[in-house]
Amino acid sequence: MRTPSGNKVYAIAAEYPSAAALYEAAKRVRDAGFKRWDVHSPFPIHGMDDAMGLGKSWLSAPVLLGGITGFLTAIALTFGPSTFIYPLIVHGKPTDWRTAPAFFPIMFELTVLCAAFTCFFAMLIMNGLPRWHHPIFNWDRFSRATNDSFFLVIEARDPRFTEQEAVQLLQESGGQHITVVHED
Amino acid sequence: MSERSHVVPTPEGEYFETNRFGGLSMIAAVVAVAGLVLCVVAAFLAPRQFAYSWLFAFAFFFTLCAGCLFWTLVHHAVDAEWSVVVRRQLENIASLLPIMAIFFLPVILFRHHLYEWMTIPYGEDHLLDTKRAYLNFWFFLIRAIIILGFFVAASWFFRRTSVRQDRDGNPRFTLAMRKVAIASIFGFALSLTFGAFDWLMSLNYVWFSTMWGVYIFAGAAGSSMSLLVLVITWLRNNGYLKEIITIEHYHFMGKWMLAFTVFWAYIGFSQYMLIWYSNVPEETEYFILRNTESWNLLSLLLVIGRFFVPFALLLPRATKKIPKRLCMLAGWIIFMQLVDMYVVVLPELHRAGMRLSVVDFLPLLGIGATLVFFYLRVVGRTSLFPVRDPRLAQSLRIIN
Repeated sequence: MRTPSGNKVYAIAAEYPSAAALYEAAKRVRDAGFKRWDVHSPFPIHGMDDAMGLGKSWLSAPVLLGGITGFLTAIALTFGPSTFIYPLIVHGKPTDWRTAPAFFPIMFELTVLCAAFTCFFAMLIMNGLPRWHHPIFNWDRFSRATNDSFFLVIEARDPRFTEQEAVQLLQESGGQHITVVHED
Repeated sequence: MSERSHVVPTPEGEYFETNRFGGLSMIAAVVAVAGLVLCVVAAFLAPRQFAYSWLFAFAFFFTLCAGCLFWTLVHHAVDAEWSVVVRRQLENIASLLPIMAIFFLPVILFRHHLYEWMTIPYGEDHLLDTKRAYLNFWFFLIRAIIILGFFVAASWFFRRTSVRQDRDGNPRFTLAMRKVAIASIFGFALSLTFGAFDWLMSLNYVWFSTMWGVYIFAGAAGSSMSLLVLVITWLRNNGYLKEIITIEHYHFMGKWMLAFTVFWAYIGFSQYMLIWYSNVPEETEYFILRNTESWNLLSLLLVIGRFFVPFALLLPRATKKIPKRLCMLAGWIIFMQLVDMYVVVLPELHRAGMRLSVVDFLPLLGIGATLVFFYLRVVGRTSLFPVRDPRLAQSLRIIN
C-alpha cells in the first residue's frame, strides 16, 4: 500500500485524549484480532499488557540461559585451576570439591553478572534497538508521545491490515487525528 | 485501569464466623491443654530435655509471629498497596505475641539447664568473665522484658489502630501508623537481634556471630510470609475473601517467599563462609558440632530444602500464580523453619548426634494448639480485611 505521493505506508495511527481512552481502544484493537500494533503514552499504564493481549514476555528464557552460562563459567574458572591445573593448599583447606564454599561468591557473582547482561542486551534486541530513526517519527504530532498525548499505531504489515478497517476501528474507538504514516 | 475496577468492597466488611469452627476450636483447646499438661509432666521427669524442646518450639512459633509483625511494619513504612487486603491476617497472627511472651516463662524457669553461663561461678572461666558485663542473669531478664515488651506493645498498637480505622475510615490513622512503623522498624531490628543473641546464641557462650540476628530474621520473614499464604488460602477455602484476594496477591506473596528464600541462603552462607574461612576455634565450634555426626544430615537438608528446592520451584511465574502449588511450598518452607530452629537449639543438648525425643513434640503441640485456639478467637472479632483503609481500592485491583 502506498500514499498518493508514492511512499510506502508504515502504519495508520490515531491520537487519544486520555490514558483511559487509549486503554479502551487497545481492548477493541486486540479483540479485532490485530497482531502488529502498539500503543504509546508518556507513562506506563497499569493493565495495558492485558488490554493489548500481550501475555508473558519471553525475555526470561534468555536470562535463565545467561545465568546458567555464568554459573558454569564460574565453576570452570574456579575448580579448573584450583583443583586440576594448579592445586594449592591455602589455610589448610582441601582442594577438591569440599573447597566449594570459597567459590560460591564467584559463582553467585558471575551468575548474576551474565544474567543481568543477557537481560539488558536481549531486551535491546527484542525491542529492535539501537536504531537511528523510526517511521513513526514521520508524523509530527507523535513528538507529544513523551509529553501529554496517547497514541495507537496499527502497522501496515499486520496480516489483517486494510486501510478501511483500521481507520474505521480507530474512529469507532474515539481516536482523533487519524493519520496515514509513511515509511521513509 | 483493570478488569476489576468494578469491584467495590462491601463497606461493612467480611466477618469470620467463629461459631462455624467450634469443632476445630474445641480440638485446638483439647490438644493445647493436653500438650501443656504433658509438658509439665515432662518438665518434672526430664527437665533438661524439656528445657531444650521448649526453647525449640518457642523459637519456631516466636519467629513466625514476629515475622508477621515485621510485614505489618514494612507495609506501613513503605506505604504498600498490595498488602492492604492481607494485612488484617498479619495483624491477627502478630497479636498472638503476648501469648508467646507468657510462653517465655519456662525459658526463665529452666535457664540453668539451657544456659551454661548462668551456672558457672565467677573466676572459673576467664573467657566468660570478660563477657559477664553482658551475660548475667539480671541484665538478661531486663533485656527479655524490654524485647518482649516491644513485641507486645507494637503488635497491640498496630492491630488496635487498624481496627479503629475500620469504624470511621479516618486517614489520620494511616499517617500515624506510618510514623510509628518507621520508628518501630529500629525497635524491631534491635529486639529481634538481641532476642536471637540472648535466647539462642548464648546457648553456647563461647560462640559468637554478628550475623546471627539477621540469620534468624531471614528465616522469620520467609516462613511468616509462607504462613500468611496458608492462612489466606484456608480462609478462602472456607468461603471468605473470595472477592477480595486474587491470583495477583498470591503472586506478590510468592515473590516475597522467593526473595526471602534467597536472602536466607545469602545470610546463612555468608555466616558460614566467613567462619569456615577464618577458622577461629571459638567461631568454628558452632559449625563443627552441626556438621558432624548425624547433625550433618540435618544441616545438609537445610541447605537443600530451605534454599535449592524452594528457589528452583519458586523461580517460574506459574508456581506463584497457582495457589495450590504455592501452598505446598509454603508448608515446606515452614517445615524447613522448624528444622532450622531444631538445628539451632537441639545440638547443644545432644552433642553426640541427633536424638529425636518424644518430649520434642509436646511443646510444639502445646504452643501450636494454643496459638490456633486464640487465633480462631481473634480472627472473628474484626473484619477479615481493613474495610476503610484509604488504599483498599488500589489494593483490590492491583496487578503485578
